[in-house]
Amino acid sequence: MEPKKDMEAMYRRLLDGNKHFSMNKKINDPEYFKKLSLGQRPDYLWIGCSDSRVPANEVTSTESGEIFVHRNIANLVVHTDVNLMSVLEYALVYLGVSHVIVCGHYGCGGVRAAMSNVMYGHVDNWLRNIKDVYQKNQTELNAIKDEDKRADRLTELNVIEQVKNLAKSAIVQNEWKKRPVHLHGWVYGINSGLITDLSVIHDGTEDIDPIYRFQI
Amino acid sequence: MQLQKTQSDLKAGVVVFLVALPLCLGISLACGIPLLSGIISGIIGGLIVTTISNSVYSVSGPAAGLTAIVISSITQLGSVETFMFCVFLAGLFQLAMGLLKLGNISTYVPNAVIKGMLSGIGIILIIKQVPHMVGYDADPEGDLYFTQSDGQNSITELTNMMNYISPGAMCVAAVSLLILVLSEQNFYKNDRWFGLIPAPVLVVVMGILLNISFQSSTFFAISKEHLVNLPVIGSFEELVTTMIKPNFSLWNNSQVWLISGTIAMVASLETLLSLEAIEKLDPDRRPTNANRELLAQGAGNILCGLAGGLPVTSVIVRSSANIHAGAKTKLAIVVHSILLLLSILFIPGFLGLIPNASLAVILTYTGYKLAKYQLFKEQYRAGWDQFIPFIITIIVMLRTDMLKGVGAGLIASVIFIIRFNLKNTFETVEDEIEGRKTYLIKLPQHATFFSKGFITQYLSKIEDNSTIIIDGSINKSTDKDVKEVLLDFNQNSLQRNIHIHLVKFKF
Repeated sequence: MEPKKDMEAMYRRLLDGNKHFSMNKKINDPEYFKKLSLGQRPDYLWIGCSDSRVPANEVTSTESGEIFVHRNIANLVVHTDVNLMSVLEYALVYLGVSHVIVCGHYGCGGVRAAMSNVMYGHVDNWLRNIKDVYQKNQTELNAIKDEDKRADRLTELNVIEQVKNLAKSAIVQNEWKKRPVHLHGWVYGINSGLITDLSVIHDGTEDIDPIYRFQI
Repeated sequence: MQLQKTQSDLKAGVVVFLVALPLCLGISLACGIPLLSGIISGIIGGLIVTTISNSVYSVSGPAAGLTAIVISSITQLGSVETFMFCVFLAGLFQLAMGLLKLGNISTYVPNAVIKGMLSGIGIILIIKQVPHMVGYDADPEGDLYFTQSDGQNSITELTNMMNYISPGAMCVAAVSLLILVLSEQNFYKNDRWFGLIPAPVLVVVMGILLNISFQSSTFFAISKEHLVNLPVIGSFEELVTTMIKPNFSLWNNSQVWLISGTIAMVASLETLLSLEAIEKLDPDRRPTNANRELLAQGAGNILCGLAGGLPVTSVIVRSSANIHAGAKTKLAIVVHSILLLLSILFIPGFLGLIPNASLAVILTYTGYKLAKYQLFKEQYRAGWDQFIPFIITIIVMLRTDMLKGVGAGLIASVIFIIRFNLKNTFETVEDEIEGRKTYLIKLPQHATFFSKGFITQYLSKIEDNSTIIIDGSINKSTDKDVKEVLLDFNQNSLQRNIHIHLVKFKF
């Protein structure tokens, strides 16, 4: 691949931008970083997509320290994912977040790839989880002729499935015994900048199949 | 349901009439104009303006706030008839303002200037009423200028009047003042009976009673020139012949147009301000259409000019009395106007028993409410940018006239705005990052030539071998003046080893 522009300038931009960020915060509140350095107490855990167009803080107009974030391709919750499970446990047990949000987005490249039969490489393993969601809902999805609309619907179904995966986890169910924790499924519209709440709030094991309910 | 509504409207109409009558008479007295003029203006305000306006509660009529202008205008013009022509023209101006949709002009006058204007009016009202209170009515047309045509000034006038004191009038004034002060106390407001009677009504009734009881005494008797003087009118035709007719002959006189413009501006301003206050009192918070209101006021003033009435504005005291008395529709205001008309037709003799001193006290009290001590304190606490324009408006107004006062207040406000712009539009912060001096300049929303001085000065202080970040994230427009300064700086930044980083901004 050809270098996009001057390599040096390209990366300097970020460091300059960082200086701007730091000074700009201090204009409004000279104590800003001092306060942040004292520790974090976020109310939310955000499980989102790695897509560069869906930054959690920016799309929710929140500040540093307000949202604990985990991002991966197509915002999947996979029970064997040591990374995500560690984040989930730390957020719930040690940070005490009250809301866990799975936020997908329309026009997701991961969902698109999972809908096709192209082989991309290692990522196909990961995207298998979305193919499973497709297979579970294939009657509904195959009935949608328009490919964009089918992808949008799969995006929504994928988010709903990942919220269910959270509810099935021992970490979440353990926490539910102690205090209220809400699980949410959202989809962000890249073309509108607006989030749609899919209204799949889970606050207990009642909504999941009995086989997944642990005795705690 | 409908009957109940009509009943409350009738009751409210009577209350508003009782509040309006002494004010209509008193304002005319303060203006030094035949008392009939105030009543005519009250009738037109309630019948014509109310019909056209879309405000349910706003009562229009002669305004204490306009007395200052009326007095000085009549002195300058030297003729009440020509003044009525000015009122007519002012009505035309307002009509034009309404058609041009200038209803939001009041939002462009700074709060401090408006408050200064109202306080100035209040002070003038007080100064001009004191002689009436003690029964010295020699110079009721005393103009607004501090020095008066007869070689006296407002202060010597006050000492002069001491030689002409009427003990009866003074007694009436003292009792009236006492009633008004007491009426502001909670025990009066909450009293089952007194709370229902508007204080001005009580003042007038007491004035009449004292006047009657003084008649037998030679020492206390209040002579005729200190009593309300209304012509006895037998018929409607007689009313028409008694009215002041406007004199159109000076239509090409520039002073006439200037005065008309002033009346139109101040009357509109006062109307729009009191409408704002009325909207806040309205239980349903119905918004008033300001442009339509200007049309209504214009129509009212055209008629006032033709019929020899004082200029009208929407007035807050009568309007709030209307709301508190439980008015439901515009009918209440119409009732008040009809009662005003009936009162001059059928009871002028009875009204003639009212001492001028009673009316003077009511007006003085209105003046005091406009120029309250608390208001001065509030303005002072609000900071110099509020207090200076406020006080300048008052002083210039008292020394010259209202228009010059408002003008001076506006200039003072603008100076403060410019000063603020020169100083505070740019947010800057300096830091030392990795041993390199770093500056952040946030361009304001609109970087105008006002900010050129600041930015030039700031850039001149920037050291060599430093980093400077220019942040345009909230910037919408940058004047060429400012851009040039930035470009010049950019040009020699390389040789000074100054690194410039732009965020959401392009040269």
